[in-house]
Amino acid sequence: MEDKKKIGWFCSFVPEELIMAAGLEPVRLRGSVKRLTEADAYVFSNICPYLKNIFDSGLRNRLDHLDGIIFTNSCDGMRKLYDLWIRYIYTPFTFMLEVPKNRNEAGVRYFSQQLHALKKSLEEFYSVDITVRLQGAISTMNEHRIMLGRIFEQQKQSPPPLKGSELFALSDEEMTSPKGDTTGKLKGLFDARILVIGNRMDNPTLFNLVEDAKGSVVIFDTCNGLKHYSDHVDNGPDPIESLARRYLLKPTCQRMPGFDIRMERLEQLIQDYSIEGVIYSNLKYCDYSLFEMPQIERFLKMRGIPFLGLENDYLWTDLERIRIRVEAFIEMIEGGL
Amino acid sequence: MMKTTFQEMLAFIEPGLVEKPRGFELFTKELMASMVRSYDDDVKTVYVSGYAFPTELLWAFDVIPFDFEIACNNLPEAMSGRGSEIMVTSENEGYSRDICSFDRLIIACMLKGMLPKGDLYLTSSYYCHGKAKANEIVADYEGKESVLFDVPHEISASSIQYVTEQLKDIASRLEAVTGKKLDMDRFKEAIRWSNSARGSLQKINELMKEKPFPYNPIKACLLALGGAVFWGSPVREEIHQLIIREMEARISDGTALPERYRVLWYPWVPVQQTVIFSTLKAHEVSVPMVEVARVWWSELDENAPFKSLALKALENLHVGKAEKRVKALVNLAEEYDVNGVIHFATPACHGENMAFPLVRDAMEEIGLPTLNLEGDMTDERNYSPDQTMNKLASFFEVLKGAAG
Repeated sequence: MEDKKKIGWFCSFVPEELIMAAGLEPVRLRGSVKRLTEADAYVFSNICPYLKNIFDSGLRNRLDHLDGIIFTNSCDGMRKLYDLWIRYIYTPFTFMLEVPKNRNEAGVRYFSQQLHALKKSLEEFYSVDITVRLQGAISTMNEHRIMLGRIFEQQKQSPPPLKGSELFALSDEEMTSPKGDTTGKLKGLFDARILVIGNRMDNPTLFNLVEDAKGSVVIFDTCNGLKHYSDHVDNGPDPIESLARRYLLKPTCQRMPGFDIRMERLEQLIQDYSIEGVIYSNLKYCDYSLFEMPQIERFLKMRGIPFLGLENDYLWTDLERIRIRVEAFIEMIEGGL
Repeated sequence: MMKTTFQEMLAFIEPGLVEKPRGFELFTKELMASMVRSYDDDVKTVYVSGYAFPTELLWAFDVIPFDFEIACNNLPEAMSGRGSEIMVTSENEGYSRDICSFDRLIIACMLKGMLPKGDLYLTSSYYCHGKAKANEIVADYEGKESVLFDVPHEISASSIQYVTEQLKDIASRLEAVTGKKLDMDRFKEAIRWSNSARGSLQKINELMKEKPFPYNPIKACLLALGGAVFWGSPVREEIHQLIIREMEARISDGTALPERYRVLWYPWVPVQQTVIFSTLKAHEVSVPMVEVARVWWSELDENAPFKSLALKALENLHVGKAEKRVKALVNLAEEYDVNGVIHFATPACHGENMAFPLVRDAMEEIGLPTLNLEGDMTDERNYSPDQTMNKLASFFEVLKGAAG
């Protein structure tokens, strides 16, 4: 079977359906280097370590297997990564997808136009007709959402069938491997039921730490967790608008206004999954995340939910210090403190 | 407390203005006066970032624009290198020092109850995401909604429509706040004042090409940022006319400071007192242009005011591909015949700092050295006078070497 060309994407707002309908393989990007050697010559030390890792990977030709990359204006740093990329790194196809920040009808209309532009750009660059395969791609991705959604749903059970790290591995595989390769495992019985929120995590270190401490991450609601699989695309007569609607109006992350909405969701998840403690995993220097962390802590404190705010440098080099904090947190929950 | 501070600053400025009218002092007076007024119960106060919002729309209504970023960072503590004394209040509440000092200061002022009550909280997506989050937090604290003016990074029929619709929505919100319908004649008048001030700013920028440079670069930058809230008001034009008069007088009297080298400065100047500008002056290095002082937008069309203002936002050089802005910076460097470029880096300005290598490399292609000068807008803990002077000294050597 012929290998499909791979298109990298960063942000949960990118509809993989358009890439798939172009006969291409969507791959969610993650940094691939353990130690930065090139990026520091271009970007400041206090820039998002995820972006730096990706940029370093690109500069060191570690992402040459990609035929294209779809960027988004997720944050100021991500927006500028695009500018740096097209200046210093060659990738045959690049596209900057503008994602509105307002979740309203005007935003949906504008995002629809952006998706039309992405569709046209892919069609022209790869000489393909996306329209004919788009509804099939939407069906496939809806199947994935249903399947992963069910797995997340099952996590409401006590004990949850899967460990957090297993759940993470599943979603990671779903986003980085050829579609259809996703498998499920049922496993896991731990005492403290933990919900992980925050921003991007590209490895299961935190999940392992929680499990080592005899806790269980029963759900993670980051942009590569449940949030990514929530809501379906209406596969109706106007698929582009349906895509815009689903991607823009799905549960929000910190880049969007609407703290209250996020807290409503958090409260619902805590109730639905019988959560005993919340860990907020924050990628260092991520402004959006840093701004909300104290608010979330206050919100949970008022409701008596134990909260642990953690910062990581993407590679989790400060592992032992974090381990001690996680162990103390789990002990605190189990001790009913 | 903040109101009293602004009242004291106002009382300090006013007598001098009566004695000798000057553009920058008039700007400061008007800014302080509007900030004082924003606390009054009989006014409708609208939070906004003037440099990142087309304020012409606000001048069509009976509201007081309150530039929350400029207000907090104009406090004497921030300007005198003691900003952290206030910032620590937000830091103690968990707001990380990795967050921009501007925003930590705003949140601290909020927590200390120093800010006026807003009737509408406007913010925008461009320049930086930090101010939008800070605005959202302040609005939430007051139990109000924060309205985000979202400007995409591309100009197309759909983005123009998207931005235009948002401005119309904001106009409806202003109508609700003031209880009055938008008066189109007044809106057109604001557009005319904006166009008039745009023309006079172009004249100022032409005069800035004079050698030696006949004005003060810090004032030019502070006016561009803090004075942005006056676009659409006759005040802005009045300020410009006074500045033109001052510059023309200096040119004809030959009283401009001696000038050995000229540098282009971008993007911001520190609010806190630093050794930077005194060191530049001592070495006869002038700054004839700061990036934010230029005119980037087309003349506004009073017959299509919403669309015109949408375009003003979309044409902003901080919106869109960095390539566009880099070319514009290169053009500025050539137009103002500079010997080098200084990039002032405040730590949390991530989007801005990530563009630095693009500018550095483009300047190198036209033979200009670029200095990356790290400091902080208001947090004195991130600023070292010795390190700053060392960096500047090295840069002066480079300028000297380049000049042969």
